[in-house]
Amino acid sequence: MSSSSLEVSTPMEEEGIEAIETWNVGEQQELEGDEGSKLSIALDINSTCAKVAFFIISKSMNSPTPQFVPSRLGIYEPIHQTGIWGENFKSNGNPNTSTSVIVEVDNKLENESETTSHEMLAPSNNYEQEASKPIDKIQRRLAQNREAARKSRLRKKAYVQQLENSRLKLIQLEQELQRARQQGLYMGGVLEGSHIGFSGTVNSEDSVGIAAFEMEYGRWVDVQHRQICELRTALNAHISDIELRILVESGMGHYFELFRMKSTVAKADVFYVISGVWKTSAERFFSWIGGFRPSELLKVLVPQLDPLTEQQILEVCNLKQSCQQAEDALSQGMEKLQETVSSTVAGGPVDEVSYIPQVATAMEKLEALVSFVNQADHLRQETLQQMSRILTTRQAARGLLALGEYFHRLRALSTLWATRPSEPSLP
Amino acid sequence: MQEAIPYKSYMAATAGGRSRLHNFLEGAGNGGEHRLVANGCENSVTKLVVENAVIVFGRRGCCMCHVVNRLLLGLGVNPAVCEVDEEKEEEVLHELSVINGGGVQFPAVFVGGKLFGGLDRVMSTHITGELVPILKEAGALWL
Repeated sequence: MSSSSLEVSTPMEEEGIEAIETWNVGEQQELEGDEGSKLSIALDINSTCAKVAFFIISKSMNSPTPQFVPSRLGIYEPIHQTGIWGENFKSNGNPNTSTSVIVEVDNKLENESETTSHEMLAPSNNYEQEASKPIDKIQRRLAQNREAARKSRLRKKAYVQQLENSRLKLIQLEQELQRARQQGLYMGGVLEGSHIGFSGTVNSEDSVGIAAFEMEYGRWVDVQHRQICELRTALNAHISDIELRILVESGMGHYFELFRMKSTVAKADVFYVISGVWKTSAERFFSWIGGFRPSELLKVLVPQLDPLTEQQILEVCNLKQSCQQAEDALSQGMEKLQETVSSTVAGGPVDEVSYIPQVATAMEKLEALVSFVNQADHLRQETLQQMSRILTTRQAARGLLALGEYFHRLRALSTLWATRPSEPSLP
Repeated sequence: MQEAIPYKSYMAATAGGRSRLHNFLEGAGNGGEHRLVANGCENSVTKLVVENAVIVFGRRGCCMCHVVNRLLLGLGVNPAVCEVDEEKEEEVLHELSVINGGGVQFPAVFVGGKLFGGLDRVMSTHITGELVPILKEAGALWL
């Protein structure tokens, strides 16, 4: 129901309007007769007009263009019930109150309709001859209008209810979106040192472990960023190999520190680590058993390390292959674990209420996930160490810079993604 | 595939899970399939360790054991695998510790009759490139 539709009335409304017009005409006719009772008739007719008019006006109450209201009021100015309407219209802003107002008025009007019809009958007897036909018509119109008004009110109620539900849903969705955006933003903004704690566990100890990890990880990323800048400066400044070696060692050690942190929090909540919620969204996209793939790491590093000697190329090639084999073995192990847990959970008769044994057994099996996270991190560590053995100090420094810069860019990508302008969902 | 050292092999039959002791005829291992050797009695453990170039001991259904096996298979090794039932776990671990002269944990890989290590060691030696020569030396792998 758009604002423009107000001008286009429903067939019922049209009838009602028609009736009012007829009555207005009738009103003029009556006024030519007896003055006293005429006035009462006029009033009574008008009060019924008021009823019908009200339901049309009340429909317009929820419109975004309230200027229709005064103009409608203007048409029915002579009616004495304007005062009551004025009060009702003052509470126009809130759709909730308008609904209740309509209900209130509905009740009022329903009560009035009976008395009004009686009043209508009384004066009609005075005008038996000329007035009987028009009054019959009027009665019929009255009934029709009552019917129309009632149906219209019911429809309106239903529509408003629907609108209310949709509104609530919209608010809910907006809140969810806001929350999700904030999480993405916060994760991306970990560099600034601000981050929200995430805990999906009920266990308070686990929550403490997770909260502690998040704080530590935030600091870790800050230190990482500082180290990258130092490496860049050092490489450009052409410092000695010995000094560079120190930077390389601390860089490597920093990654090993992360693996230790992850091992600790994996004991608290392994699903937290594996889910990768502690990382930014783009990093999560590449996640494999709670971290980066060692083979990916090599793909990022190697192009930055040119020139490599023949021997180095061979060794790097071997490392790539070993890495891939180890990754495959771990992946297959994970698949086996999935199969095992799945068949355990699904096992047993389903028509029995108790599934505790299946779930308990599955929990035992899931303990293996901790081992997987540890083994995956162990593989990452071994790969990094082997690379540092193959490369010269300067090459290792360049490698660490490349790796750190890569993750830094992924984090920037996540932030950018989270803040991209949303596309309109409506056509 | 010609084998210099004879292996006792046993193809896993049922998924029943009861441990049994079986000595089977020597046979060439099928490439790619790992050979399952079940044990039921202590003596056989020592025998298994001695008679196999590479043997992996692990709990039945253990996924880490699976990882070790897949890795070794990927290298072209045909490891003997001993899946130990829960009841027999302590016994087997005890005997393996005796053989080793020290503590043993599952999964345990024995190469050339000696304890090589767990998944950790397999992984690190694989990355450094040390694993393959060791396997070759033990006769578990041919070029």
